[in-house]
Amino acid sequence: MELHICHLYPDILNLYGDRGNIFTMKRRLEARRIGVQIDECSIGQPLDVDKYDLFFIGGGQDFEQEVLLRDLAGGKGRDIRTAVEDEKVFLAICGGYQMLGQYYKTWDGSQMDFIGAINVHTIGAKERMIGNYMFRTTPESSGSVIVGFENHSGKTYLGEDVAPLGMVLKGFGNNGEDHTEGARCKNVFATYSHGPLLPKNPALCDFILQTALERKYDTCEPLGPLDDTLENSAHDYMEHRLMHG
Amino acid sequence: MKLKTKLAVWACKASGAVLRRLGRGGTNLPGKIALRIDPDILGELSRGVKVTVVTGTNGKTTTARMIEQAFVDAGLKYFSNKSGANLLTGIIAVFAQHCTLSGRCPYSHALIECDEAAFRKTSEHLPVECLVVNNIFRDQLDRFGEITHTLHAIRDGITHIPDATLCLNADCSLTASLALQVPNKIVWFGVNVPIYENTAQELSDAPYCIRCKTEYQYDYTTYGHLGGFSCPHCGYRRREPQVAVTQVLKTGPDSSDILLDLFGHVHEVHVNLPGGYNIYNAAAAAAAARIIGIEEETAITALGQFECGFGRAEQFTLGQAQARMMLVKNPAGFNQVINLISHDEGCCKLAFLLNDRFADGTDISWIWDVDFEALAAQQARFTRILVSGVRADDMALRLKYAGFVSDRIEVIRTYEELLDAVGADETPAFLMPSYTAMFELRGEIGKHTDVKAFYE
Repeated sequence: MELHICHLYPDILNLYGDRGNIFTMKRRLEARRIGVQIDECSIGQPLDVDKYDLFFIGGGQDFEQEVLLRDLAGGKGRDIRTAVEDEKVFLAICGGYQMLGQYYKTWDGSQMDFIGAINVHTIGAKERMIGNYMFRTTPESSGSVIVGFENHSGKTYLGEDVAPLGMVLKGFGNNGEDHTEGARCKNVFATYSHGPLLPKNPALCDFILQTALERKYDTCEPLGPLDDTLENSAHDYMEHRLMHG
Repeated sequence: MKLKTKLAVWACKASGAVLRRLGRGGTNLPGKIALRIDPDILGELSRGVKVTVVTGTNGKTTTARMIEQAFVDAGLKYFSNKSGANLLTGIIAVFAQHCTLSGRCPYSHALIECDEAAFRKTSEHLPVECLVVNNIFRDQLDRFGEITHTLHAIRDGITHIPDATLCLNADCSLTASLALQVPNKIVWFGVNVPIYENTAQELSDAPYCIRCKTEYQYDYTTYGHLGGFSCPHCGYRRREPQVAVTQVLKTGPDSSDILLDLFGHVHEVHVNLPGGYNIYNAAAAAAAARIIGIEEETAITALGQFECGFGRAEQFTLGQAQARMMLVKNPAGFNQVINLISHDEGCCKLAFLLNDRFADGTDISWIWDVDFEALAAQQARFTRILVSGVRADDMALRLKYAGFVSDRIEVIRTYEELLDAVGADETPAFLMPSYTAMFELRGEIGKHTDVKAFYE
């Protein structure tokens, strides 16, 4: 077995440690002796969506957004929509999450249209939502407790056909209002948990990998357990700190 | 002098004295009190003082210490903010401390390192003669937001000081862009050649042109996004620096030797701290010293004599081992420390100390952008791999993914045990603490040996 992973815009959407997710997927596949090939696709490079089973999109800064939107408008946005429709697996984080949605409206009213691959939209707020936070994913997304760090001013709202990735236990999540966090739609996993989400949330990582393997190979054995001592220590430390201060 | 300024000075001095008596290095509270009493206190106290300010992401403290050595050697009557009190309130406290009770400042010069975000407000009140901007890297995004916000804060600050000479890093496309819209006189410093042959694998913090958002081309890079950049679209490019490192003669574990072209005069310079980033700091300091009017020879010899301390390659004897403390705050800085360690030879211990308090940045995601893989590739020569600090578990996990053998990563919960482990045998150690971990660790070391408190 083998997974082909595409890291989209790694030179721009890499705000803080996003590549930790790629390291983690690679290592956890290799530990199960499953082949993995990782390609990068950035500005100006054509995207051959058929080639890939799993796409990763990280978070970025506003500065490069123009460059990015230009590139998406040049055809890659359409390719990504096709891949989502085709139930390819996506992990999209923070800015990448917003970008898969319909649009972003700033707090003073100007609107930027995004890819529109999933039915969510984002409204800019004046106050940033920043800090360590925690949510529990729905049973359809592994049903595990996720600890992470969020840093966003956009408030994201889920439209029809889109379920949350999970429900907030501590922190803000999608918008600080409805307790939802992230989005699940087809095989898209999207979240505000920025940067290195997967290293200390191995259950979610395995769930995403399993989803990609099942899509590709129809049936596949559940992934075997690994030694997650360090992963769990980092996870449990933050879970405990968030619950008990 | 207005009565309220005098009152503010008294309140500031008195509260500072009380805090020091209590053994606390509170440098911000006294300034806060003074500012409350007289919002214009800094302007009043600094009147007539020639102020040199150092700001930028990495190297502020080191550059300031290099310039300070030149001040000392030149016999200038100066004071500086030594303790990392580099926010507006801390800077106010330092000025108040160095004024007489009547609010008169008896010093001709002041040397101030200033936090990038705080510079916007601080420069409103300071008669800055020379502003050094070292570089702009991603740092504490939970606090600064985007990297361009840092740039804008500095740019806004510069609008308050049109008469100041700006001493800018020619190799940093972000810093260099500060020259684009200001009337100030500019002195460029830079490094004309690559520093190391093999460097840490780094992500660029600024791949796209700050003016037109086209991807930069590079003739060479030194580290991070620093180097000979040019934009193929709008023509924005690196300027030829008047103060330039033209050749790196030697890089060692304790120091570097370089050829420095200082306004057309080439000197062989010994830099009394290791690492490529300190070569930049040295060029910046020499440029600043000349701008202030210090003799060329003095500016040069200072670089071989200054001592920095406070975790900047600071040396300690711990138990049986010699240890060097290298403060690490962000990916660019950490990668530079990794370059330094990986170009060293022989066995050593590594200790990583990661905190996530406010001054460290509460978001530690950035450790995943650091090239620990370069260290993991040499792990056979590291006799112990020690991890400590509030976020020790996250650091341990990062090292595992970098390729360190899990079983060799020792998570140690207290600094006391950590120091015992470091000092247990003669193998030298590199201690790499984040900002608050550096203070905590120095505190712990101070219980056993003589270490200066940070407010001294």
